[in-house]
Amino acid sequence: MKSFLQYLKVIWQIFRKDFQVEWRGKQGVPVMLVFSLLVVFLFNFALQLSPTLQASLTAGLLWVSLAFASTLGLNRSISLERESNALDGLLLVPVDRSAVFFGKALSNFTFTTLVALALLPVLSLFYQQNLFHLPLVLVIVLGVGAYTGLGTLLSALSIQSRTRDVLLPILLYPLALPILIAAVEASRGILAGQPLGDLKSWIFLLLAANILFSAAGLMFFETILEE
Amino acid sequence: MTLHKKPSLLSILDILSILLFTAVLILILFFTPTELTMGPVQKVFYFHVASAWGGMLSFILAAAAGIGYLVTRKVRWDWLSLSSVEVGLVFGLIAILSGMIWAQPIWNTWWVWDPRLTTTAIMEIIYLAYFILRSGLDTPETRARLGAVYVIVSVITVPLTFFSIRLFRTIHPVVIATGGDGGSAFNMTPRMLLAFIASLVVFTLILADLVWHRYRLAQLQNTIEEEVN
Repeated sequence: MKSFLQYLKVIWQIFRKDFQVEWRGKQGVPVMLVFSLLVVFLFNFALQLSPTLQASLTAGLLWVSLAFASTLGLNRSISLERESNALDGLLLVPVDRSAVFFGKALSNFTFTTLVALALLPVLSLFYQQNLFHLPLVLVIVLGVGAYTGLGTLLSALSIQSRTRDVLLPILLYPLALPILIAAVEASRGILAGQPLGDLKSWIFLLLAANILFSAAGLMFFETILEE
Repeated sequence: MTLHKKPSLLSILDILSILLFTAVLILILFFTPTELTMGPVQKVFYFHVASAWGGMLSFILAAAAGIGYLVTRKVRWDWLSLSSVEVGLVFGLIAILSGMIWAQPIWNTWWVWDPRLTTTAIMEIIYLAYFILRSGLDTPETRARLGAVYVIVSVITVPLTFFSIRLFRTIHPVVIATGGDGGSAFNMTPRMLLAFIASLVVFTLILADLVWHRYRLAQLQNTIEEEVN
């Protein structure tokens, strides 16, 4: 029991540290936000969206821009630890190393969710469509949770490669596809006014992805980072 | 230098695969009836499903070998994992290309963004990325360790992908219908079924043969590298 509390404390401390770094430097969330807005703008011009088409594409646009922006944060989060060998320090903490995974995943999750929440009013304004639905926020929390969980795991893989940050999107996007499909379909349904009951398969899929990738982090993070 | 002799069982498997492949080809071309609505192009189906099956099987084998490596830390498990992924990629490619040959006359297009097709293509990319990951890692030990984690995590997404296909509406025929909506399934005559099962078995044999050859290649490569160092 005491060791479990210790474990939770390590997760919390890593999260707090990341949050403090972000709060003082403000180099993660604002960059991600601006980047995600740029993606929205690019899509708008590249696809010549007509107003009627826009409404049905909002969900897809939201998730694509989030997925792209999130990669920036994920890469930054792990390369920060790589600088001046901070990662080695983290790995010396006398608890199971999966605590480091959950700490990093928690901060990545928080930052991407913040970006999503900031993106919602902007998209609502641009596309004249109210995006503030509680179910949509739930889907964002679940989708971002699964996505950043998998992303944190894979960023620990990619950081060890010579190609580093270039590698993460290549590993992450194809593996995250089921998460993105489920998140887009659920969001689209919610925005189209479907009752939540009709969308429960997608929500369950997201839940399952959360559980699966947390379990993968629990099992493999230690293996990935062993020297 | 100790060069590993080719096992005689592998030679037998070579000959067996060639003979049986020829046999099943004859079976498909001359023995199976021509499908009523689709015509001769339906015969692509035997190789299409068999190679898709082979690809899927080898990716599962790769993950199993990955677990084997993480448990035992013996490098030969990594050779098996690598070999399976490489051969699985080729099988998957054959499945996609043969599917396109069938789709052009039947669906009147080479490609549709059907979930099943899309996810098969994505699966190929997932395992292509495996090689990109490996090429960026410096020591054989890291390549084996991270490669093992990656193939296991990849296999986790396969059932998720399957589930998302079931949820989507799909125009891809379901051969093994599980009750309910078997609407798009076409029924097989006994002769078709025989050829179908035969091609599944033969493709599994060919898969085993190729993986074994690739494994031996990795083994020889390793021996030479050890001699050089």
